[in-house]
Amino acid sequence: MRETLADLARRLGGLALTMLVVSFLVFLTLEFNVEGVAVKVLGQFSTPDQRQAWLSENGYLDPFAIRYLRWLLDFVRGHWGTSTYYHEDILKLILPRLGASAILAGGGLLVMIPMSLILGVAAGAKEGSALDRSISLVSIITTSIPEFATAVFLSAVFVIGLGWLPGVSTMAAGLSLRELILPVSVLALASTGYIARMTRASMAEVMAQPYIRMARLKGASPARIILAHALRNALITPVTVIMLQIPWILSGVIVVEVFFAYRGFGTLLYQASLNADVYLVEACAMVSVLTVVVSQTIADLIYVRLDPRLSPGGGRHS
Amino acid sequence: MAEPILRVEHLSIALPAGGDRAHAVEDVSLTVHRGEIVCVVGESGSGKSMLAGAVMGAIPGDLARTAGRIRLGEIDLTALSEPELRQIRGNRVAMIPQEPMAALNPVVRVGRQIEEVFALHTKLSAQERSIRALGLLADMHLSDPERIARSYPSQLSGGQCQRVVIAMALAMEPDLLIADEPTTALDVTTQAQILKLIRDLRETHGHGILFITHDVGVVAEIADRVLVMRRGQLVEAGEARQVLTAPTHPYTRELMAAAPSMTPPPHRPVVGEHALVARGLTKIYGARQALGGVDLEIRRGETLAVVGESGSGKSTLARILVRVIAASAGEARVAGVDMLALKGDALREARCAVQMVFQDPFGSLNPRRRVGDMIVRAGVLAGAKPAEARARAEELLELVGLSKAAFHRRPAAFSGGQRQRIGIARALAANPDLLIADESVSALDVSVQAQILDLLRDLQDRLGLAILFITHDLRVAAQMGHRIAVMQHGVVVETGPAAEVLTRPAHPYTQALLAAAPGRELGTATVVG
Amino acid sequence: MTPAMTPARRLMVLKPSAMIGLFLVAGWLLVAALAPWLAPFDPLTSLTPLASPGTHAPGGGIFWLGTDLLGRDILSRVIYGARPVVGLSVLATSTAYLVGVSAGLAAGYFRGATDAILSFLASVVLSFPVLVLYIVVIVALGASYANVVLAVTFGSAPAIFRIVRAIALDIAGRDYVAASQAQGERAHRILIQDILPNAAPPLLVDFCLRIGYSAITIGALGFLGLGLPPPTPDWGGMVAEGRAMALAFPHLVIFPCLAISSLVVGLSLLADGLNAEGRRG
Repeated sequence: MRETLADLARRLGGLALTMLVVSFLVFLTLEFNVEGVAVKVLGQFSTPDQRQAWLSENGYLDPFAIRYLRWLLDFVRGHWGTSTYYHEDILKLILPRLGASAILAGGGLLVMIPMSLILGVAAGAKEGSALDRSISLVSIITTSIPEFATAVFLSAVFVIGLGWLPGVSTMAAGLSLRELILPVSVLALASTGYIARMTRASMAEVMAQPYIRMARLKGASPARIILAHALRNALITPVTVIMLQIPWILSGVIVVEVFFAYRGFGTLLYQASLNADVYLVEACAMVSVLTVVVSQTIADLIYVRLDPRLSPGGGRHS
Repeated sequence: MAEPILRVEHLSIALPAGGDRAHAVEDVSLTVHRGEIVCVVGESGSGKSMLAGAVMGAIPGDLARTAGRIRLGEIDLTALSEPELRQIRGNRVAMIPQEPMAALNPVVRVGRQIEEVFALHTKLSAQERSIRALGLLADMHLSDPERIARSYPSQLSGGQCQRVVIAMALAMEPDLLIADEPTTALDVTTQAQILKLIRDLRETHGHGILFITHDVGVVAEIADRVLVMRRGQLVEAGEARQVLTAPTHPYTRELMAAAPSMTPPPHRPVVGEHALVARGLTKIYGARQALGGVDLEIRRGETLAVVGESGSGKSTLARILVRVIAASAGEARVAGVDMLALKGDALREARCAVQMVFQDPFGSLNPRRRVGDMIVRAGVLAGAKPAEARARAEELLELVGLSKAAFHRRPAAFSGGQRQRIGIARALAANPDLLIADESVSALDVSVQAQILDLLRDLQDRLGLAILFITHDLRVAAQMGHRIAVMQHGVVVETGPAAEVLTRPAHPYTQALLAAAPGRELGTATVVG
Repeated sequence: MTPAMTPARRLMVLKPSAMIGLFLVAGWLLVAALAPWLAPFDPLTSLTPLASPGTHAPGGGIFWLGTDLLGRDILSRVIYGARPVVGLSVLATSTAYLVGVSAGLAAGYFRGATDAILSFLASVVLSFPVLVLYIVVIVALGASYANVVLAVTFGSAPAIFRIVRAIALDIAGRDYVAASQAQGERAHRILIQDILPNAAPPLLVDFCLRIGYSAITIGALGFLGLGLPPPTPDWGGMVAEGRAMALAFPHLVIFPCLAISSLVVGLSLLADGLNAEGRRG
């Protein structure tokens, strides 16, 4: 228990350190050049005098280190500033958008996890079989098509061709499941193949282990060998791969939201970048990195829990 | 004699077309009776593990039986369907596998894995299954069976895992046990305990046991009858004593002759100057002391055999001496220079004085380089001009018994034994004062092993090499070492002339090692015969 | 696989799906190289707006894939669009490999502090979702060829670093490396002669895959309007321009999507084939 807590503390420390370095990099990239910030905030047509006045008014003439620490402190306290494009408090702007994106990403995961695990296990249980080869081929193809192209192809079939689904997902009349189907499918298609291939590799490796042969020699049936012996070992890797896939899913979310005009975190970041809304870009970058880092810490913790060889004190006694 | 429990008749298993031979197992017939231990002996690729798989009705890979019958008591296994076979496996015939740790599912507690056999073959309740499993563990002389049952395989030692696996095999009181190299992955003292356990079980339960091994010493310890396999065929069969002492087939005689004897050959004491004087060699990893102050001396033309079990620190010692890992303390003087004190360019130039031949013939040669390039480069690094190094490399290839054509080939073109010869040539190209052989023959079949040992002795005579020969095998140590040093837990517990250490061991650990060495009588028999 | 097998010979024995991959990749490389000779029209000239595929052009010739809102021939734009996508993804992946391989070899072989620092930096960069990283870089520096290459290099190098480091760590523990060390070989020679050649086969597979990822990213940046400044024809940008009218004129977006998909699918199939080949040999 003590070791587990120490382990947790160590991981949280690592998380904090990563966030600190990330915050520095983000600030350095976007606010090192103060003239640039002034242009972005005041617009192309502001006069040099206006910019100079704005800079001194807002403390931009202080040394970089001071500005960074002030920004960091504000950020930690939840003072994320005001969007120059939306003219709203950034924190208030981001939270509902995050919720909307969570629905989208959650829907994607809900489709992708069972599908990829089932396909991967089926393919890996008998390596080289016709089923394995076809699942692998389909997986390669679906992962290779960019999200915006998948969105175009699916829209061509289901919106233009069949007319079954709406082509945009603005959710103008509140949350609509019909409008969610296409964006969720695009997200799921992009990652299902990848996770299925990881699961397949893991499953195929496990099926070649001596303990699988031993189970067979004990008289276990093929179904029992897969369910009782192979699955638990084979799923350790994919479960963590799913968590590690989250940065990719987030990237996908941006494209999918923009394509379907879905009002989530991705379109917010997109608008911010098109309009050089520096503070909003900073906040969005920090939030997305935090999501990734937290999910990766959870992936590590799950991994340790699933594999007794890695748990603290789980090593050999001698 | 009673009806045999196992009767294999004219069994053949075909290999895929295009291999080096048509059959993995060819026309093999054998019987095993109740209470009898029948050993199948053979080198790698002899088809002995394939035979074991066939008897379990589970031939590995995509191979299939092409001819013959296998009868277990009254049942013709070859006539059964897969579901019918499943009821036999683990029930009436059970397997003790080669690598016990790997044969246990890493994420399932071992108690559950034993209980699974009952779940598959009986209608016992969960509670009864658990009680029976604990009983089996206790029968295996495992202390604290409850704790063992709750453990994951990674929390147990190799010997404990092997006992768990044996418990699993015995769960249903099978008529026939198949042991496929069950002690190969274990230390010699653990091996002796497991062999004793298997013998005791035979006495008390009367199973028939088909015991697969490559180790003639183990055969001498355990076999009632012996079958010798070579390239898929049975070449000799008979009572153990007869096959071991008076083999009739030339291959069996070769196999017996290649098994090193425990009696060291007579040596004149070596009086040359010291090639290595090491003092207080220590290596500490965190809280663990891998090496605790080792002192060694080796003279020119002398071989010091260092013997120890896994974890004794013998490989750490070797790697410190070639400076692949850094020592925590100590000095090692080679030709008067303390190798451990050197740094930078001085170290690089001095390195050629100590060279090593590694254990794994497949991991110690870069698969992407040509053999000749490796040997030439070793010479150049030792200070030779490229043309000299090239001439010397060709000479060395001949010296280690390889053809000139080897020069332009890559390692993939060679067998394990040939690769070790290349490794030796590469080490010699640096003109070392001290040659370290770290388990250099332990991955080889016994006949190839004998050739490499001969080569090393021959090279020592010609070149006056000092050799530090590291091994876990007392027999090999007896044949190679002028002197023997015994290591345990990172320290040398005993050192002395080979004959003395082997006949009058002073330290209790040396005595235990000697007592555990399988087939002691065998060695004397070979020397006499 | 016998050691005498040449790379060309290796490609000959690929499985059918990989041959298709090779065909697609080689095809797009040729299209990119020969664009001026293959394209029936100038990709920037306005002719007939929103012509359907197969329409005859006023000055002769046929708009096989139709024209866009500004009347530019879509086939010619798709052909010219191969240039920035293929060129930039190969260039950016190569520079990312240069950075990732050198850092990964150093970390995997020397370990210790070098490894700790490089690994931490890699984990920091990898904690950005790729597109967010690019958006930050491009908002700060502006959209241009050079900045796209820079952003992709910055984004991919850490992943390459991790792969190379793991492989180098594994190979550095082999006995043939110990043998070279014991002979007094210098570190840089061990890296070049022992570690790099043995790491090459899996890296070749990854290189193929990663060019595909880079193409996807460059496409996505174009789609988001953050890639190359218009009027340069690039596939992502064509989708972005045509998206508003895609319901009425699907040909505006379908063809550039088919183009980028076939390129990346080709690269992935080729990588898969090389991977299977590597494991067999």
